[in-house]
Amino acid sequence: MGIDRRDVIKFIVGGAVGSTLTPIPWKLTDDISIWTQNWPWIPTNIGGKNEYTPTVSKLCPSNSGMLLRTVSGRPVRPQGDPDSPLSGGKISSLAAAEAQMLYSPSRVRRPLRKTSDGTYKAVSWAEAEAILSEKLGNATGGVGVISGDENGSMNEVLSALAAGFGSDDCHFMPGSAQAEAVAYNQLMGGEGQPAYDFEKADYVLAIGADVLESWGPVVATRRAYADMRPHGEDPKSTWVYAGAFQTNTAAGADRFVAMRPGAQVALALGVANLLIKEGASATGLSGFASLAAQYTPEKVAEVAGVSPDALQEIAKGLASAQKPLVVVGAEGNEGGSTAAAIAGIACNMLLGSFKAVPYPRTVVQGAMGRGDMLAKDVASYVAGFKGGKAPEVLITYQANPVYALPGSIKTKEAFENVSFKVCFTTYLSETALASDLILPVPHSLEMVDDVATPYGYGKALYAVARPLVPTLVDAKHPGDFLLGLGAKLGKDLGFASYQKVLEAKARAMGANWADVSRGTVYVSDSQASTYGVRVDADAVAKAAAVVEVADLTLCPVMKLNFGTANCGIPPFNLNTIRGDELDSDYLYAHLNASTAKSKGVAQGDVVRISSAAGTVMAKVNIFEGVMDGVVAIPKNFGHTAFDEFTRGKGDNVSALFAVASEPGTQASVWTGQAVELKRA
Amino acid sequence: MAKPTDYPLLNEGLPRCSFPKFLIWIAVIGIVLAWGGAWMGVIFYEGLGVTALDNYFGFGLWITFDLAVIALGAGAFFTGLLRYILNIDPLKNIINLAVIIGFICYSGAMIVLALDVGQPLRSWFGFWHANVHSMLVEVMFCISCYLMVLAIEFVPIILENRQLDKIPFIHRLSHNFHVIMPLFAGIGAFLSFFHQGSLGGMYGVLFSRPFVFREGFFIWPWTFFLFVLSAVASGPVFTMLIATLIEKMTGRKLVEFRVKAMMGKIAGTMLAIYMFFKIIDTWAWAQGYLPSVGLTFSEMFHGSMYGQWLLWTEIGLCGLVPMVMLLVPSIRNTPSLLYTAAILDCIGITINRYVFTVQALAAPVMPFEDWQIYIPNQAEWAPTFLVIAYGALIISLSYRYLPVFPQEKRLNA
Amino acid sequence: MASKKEFDIVWGMVIDLDKCTGCGACMVACQAENNVPVTKDATNKLRSLTWLLVYELSNGKPFPDHDVAYLPRPCQQCGNPACVPVCPATVTKKDEEGGIVSQVYPRCFGCRYCMASCPYHVRYFNWFDPVWPEGMEKTLSPDVSVRPRGVVEKCTFCHHRWMHAKDKARVEGRDPYALEQMEYQTACTEACPNGAIHFGDLKNPEHTVHELSKSKYAFRLLERLGMDPQIYYLSRREWVRRLGDNYLDDEKTGDFKVVGGHGHG
Repeated sequence: MGIDRRDVIKFIVGGAVGSTLTPIPWKLTDDISIWTQNWPWIPTNIGGKNEYTPTVSKLCPSNSGMLLRTVSGRPVRPQGDPDSPLSGGKISSLAAAEAQMLYSPSRVRRPLRKTSDGTYKAVSWAEAEAILSEKLGNATGGVGVISGDENGSMNEVLSALAAGFGSDDCHFMPGSAQAEAVAYNQLMGGEGQPAYDFEKADYVLAIGADVLESWGPVVATRRAYADMRPHGEDPKSTWVYAGAFQTNTAAGADRFVAMRPGAQVALALGVANLLIKEGASATGLSGFASLAAQYTPEKVAEVAGVSPDALQEIAKGLASAQKPLVVVGAEGNEGGSTAAAIAGIACNMLLGSFKAVPYPRTVVQGAMGRGDMLAKDVASYVAGFKGGKAPEVLITYQANPVYALPGSIKTKEAFENVSFKVCFTTYLSETALASDLILPVPHSLEMVDDVATPYGYGKALYAVARPLVPTLVDAKHPGDFLLGLGAKLGKDLGFASYQKVLEAKARAMGANWADVSRGTVYVSDSQASTYGVRVDADAVAKAAAVVEVADLTLCPVMKLNFGTANCGIPPFNLNTIRGDELDSDYLYAHLNASTAKSKGVAQGDVVRISSAAGTVMAKVNIFEGVMDGVVAIPKNFGHTAFDEFTRGKGDNVSALFAVASEPGTQASVWTGQAVELKRA
Repeated sequence: MAKPTDYPLLNEGLPRCSFPKFLIWIAVIGIVLAWGGAWMGVIFYEGLGVTALDNYFGFGLWITFDLAVIALGAGAFFTGLLRYILNIDPLKNIINLAVIIGFICYSGAMIVLALDVGQPLRSWFGFWHANVHSMLVEVMFCISCYLMVLAIEFVPIILENRQLDKIPFIHRLSHNFHVIMPLFAGIGAFLSFFHQGSLGGMYGVLFSRPFVFREGFFIWPWTFFLFVLSAVASGPVFTMLIATLIEKMTGRKLVEFRVKAMMGKIAGTMLAIYMFFKIIDTWAWAQGYLPSVGLTFSEMFHGSMYGQWLLWTEIGLCGLVPMVMLLVPSIRNTPSLLYTAAILDCIGITINRYVFTVQALAAPVMPFEDWQIYIPNQAEWAPTFLVIAYGALIISLSYRYLPVFPQEKRLNA
Repeated sequence: MASKKEFDIVWGMVIDLDKCTGCGACMVACQAENNVPVTKDATNKLRSLTWLLVYELSNGKPFPDHDVAYLPRPCQQCGNPACVPVCPATVTKKDEEGGIVSQVYPRCFGCRYCMASCPYHVRYFNWFDPVWPEGMEKTLSPDVSVRPRGVVEKCTFCHHRWMHAKDKARVEGRDPYALEQMEYQTACTEACPNGAIHFGDLKNPEHTVHELSKSKYAFRLLERLGMDPQIYYLSRREWVRRLGDNYLDDEKTGDFKVVGGHGHG
């Protein structure tokens, strides 16, 4: 029997018609809908036992108290810890992304050594230790330290090790605490750390300090802010923000008072003047009253651009408040004026609201105290590298000076004068890429560490961050590593492990290790004596005299959701960056319409902003919350290291900072930077 | 003239160009098909992210195109309605083409829709989990059913192919199809009326979008009726324009001018009714509805991309002008003016579908929002041209192998 | 919809815009809680997925009279949603006690009609398959399924947390429909350091949102369009309240009657 073409067609047609009568097509259709839900590349849910473990954030400068949620040991995400005074159950935008940062593409996964051709080669920890021992052993030219962690005990290990090599060149990266430490500890004769008790404060004047976003332990500050403000009712406290840019703090404040960047000292003196006129006084302010008297509302208006009415209103508000508080800080929390810090402390003294807490006691033999380290001027230290004052070995710890130090220092070039740079870091930062040896630090959820009395908090406090998940990469605890290395080099620091350091630290703070190591935060009522504190009116006068009005002044803006110099921009935070803050690869510089008009630029124009130190490219965003004659530029963009989520986004505003020495206090300042702006 | 290689497939008395020439033309179409097909592949593989669509413009070029071709394809149901139900006899000379264009427009729209949904393999959920409140469900059911009707209407035309017609069974089948065609024309008209309306209803019910929201009659917003009217006001002249285009390309007379003018008159009449209601609707929207939600007429337009010129062009130049041209016999009976009016009419309806799709989404509703811009990219244009090329292919094949135009033999005698 | 469904429990939010400073903690918490994927160029707000988005509001005045406010915008969980009646496949519904507008991801075929209908832009489409940096998918929450490309997603008021809270109540022998306010809180409410977000049952007098939603400073977004949102905003500032809806120059806030909302079918 032959099969012809017609038979084949009949078979096919018949088969097709027949199969529609079977369940096959319907079943297939149903299956398709199931298949299309289950692609192998779409992650599926992994369940398990939930646990919520308290810890404290070392990633976020706010040191949020957190509960890390783990599912069968797998970290999912941190939430606020209701029992932590640093959290009150709440969390910052940066700490909220901390668990995801365990898997950041820019994590350093193993020790890396720079080869002669400039590339990096993976080395074992033993090799790394050998290299570092050799370099340190031969380090006749001194050992320097730059730390990016202001309140952890790692600084003790680092400074004690440096002391073993006869060096006290241990520095913090620039921050809010420094100007105040120099002011209070060096120039005013005070001991301890000025403390800010935001709780129950019924009048807060923030002079440049971004207290509701980036200044101090901001989650705790914001809890205090929120507690005094019942919803939809008249607030029980008044918050005033004086600054050149309507920051997040301005958005939350009851009153935004425009003040030129860098004019903090003038405004603080103006406030002090009116307070003194109202009859306020304090011991230790001899000579200050006559200096303040020069800062009449008219003078303040001229220098700081603050309207006389606003100044009068502020002074009245402060004078009539039960618990007033004045907080002075620099725009972007760096390069601030020491004289302004003195004037701010003086205001609080006049208001009777000045308080200080003791610096955490050191426990490692030979370690530098926090106050001493804060008094060190990292800007002039690094700038000195080019003048032959470079250390032989420079240790950077969770710090990114190559990216974040003022542009005028030209840190990258300065670093070339250091023969050996070792970088302890969790993420592959610009500084890591300028170092000879990169040593991975475990992520903050992977290692034991501590937070001792963070700057800006009202009380002495001790919290311990615990290793809650196994270390994902080939990282070693830097404390354990350095303690071991020290012992091998004959510089025994007296502790077998970093945890022992923390145990001793807890005792020194008055805390119970068993409690704090389980996540309880220890808070102490101990205060530092403020007896004998006095104001050097002469120094303040000299500094205040040079505050000038530039044609265009820079106002750097820091927001925690932009990330930090150490961790770059966390992938989870990118969504929070608004379309008028970053445009794909261009940063936005914010100007008000009248300033833009005077510069001949319009919305979206690409402009070149330059200072004596460097140049930044940006697009113009017209924002009326910027003072006349001011350009506001966000920080933490323009990275050249890290990963695709961070790199190449915008430009680095630090390039514009030109370091100057403040008359009277001799401190390095780079606030109130004059800049030029031209269409590119 | 030598007989083409595929002569046996051609219809008697309807000479066509040489087979290689035809193949060259098909190759041209093939290039566009390949371009569009390649992009379709990319879209299916990578996802809709390769298009210029975004979270504001969930609907863009494709939906505009779909709505436009469905409106312009309305020539099929409306001509069918007039020819078979109302017995306007001269229309038999163009009904075949109307059906083919309708089929192309609807099946083309289906191709684009399959691309446009995020999970095409699940698109039957619209039938399975149908939400009776959704205008889109109405559209899906009606379009699917109507496409089947169009396919059924297309079959007898195919069966008239010279070789197929030789088979006695097919010959008789074809005859019977013709007998029952009024039934399908009726069903088609009913389905078509509803989904043209539902497409308008899709927008009109969006009470959250002041740009398109319209009050209405019973459950139907006014846009329901406006979309039906605008479709029948443009569909017939679109069919007529395609017939003319084929004539220009082939150099043969296919449809008597009298029939074309008649299509123009029909469209003109419908356009007049449409314009009457459209202007009242626009007036009521601008003066009554918009202020009631705190908006003004001028706030509905922005810049040059979404400027008022779109509305004035739609209603004036591409609405009232062609309406007058089509209604005045002396203008309508001048071929060049008839074609001009027809083109303006079709553009007007396309603008209407564009603003309802794109401008409706570009217009901010929350007071603190800005207007957003949407410019389609190659990933969207390529499949759109693929559908146009697909239409050209079907028409080319039909014209060559099927007796589409009953008057062709006589007109070219 | 022909008839609006009434519920005994109406979950809602009251967001105090005078306290919100725009820090973005709510956005990050939401993203991590709900397994929302990351985008390399998240500055393109028309493509990134932000179930909760913080808008910047301006009073429109030049310096120095300028004022700024931030407005977090989750799904408004409308009492009369525009998205529900339009969905062809019954993917999104408002029929469960609590009044949360649901979204059944496995049923969505991605027509995006709901996105076109939502004037708040709370609905997001997965333009590509979700991608996390290598390994980061290990931090995904087991509570929320990951959405493939081609489907629409949106804020669910952390619905899974409600499920957990109800389960817990049942295990403890309590009425799962009589939860204390703190037993069920969304991730954003929990995160907000300024306590700007309140969450609870709008109908339960023991929940703070009940009273707050009746404040003279309370308003809702686009109230007059008739969607009856379950998100209330508070501001003592008149200009902020005015930005909640479209007002003609001669109109006063709240001085209108609801226009839309009867919809189709």
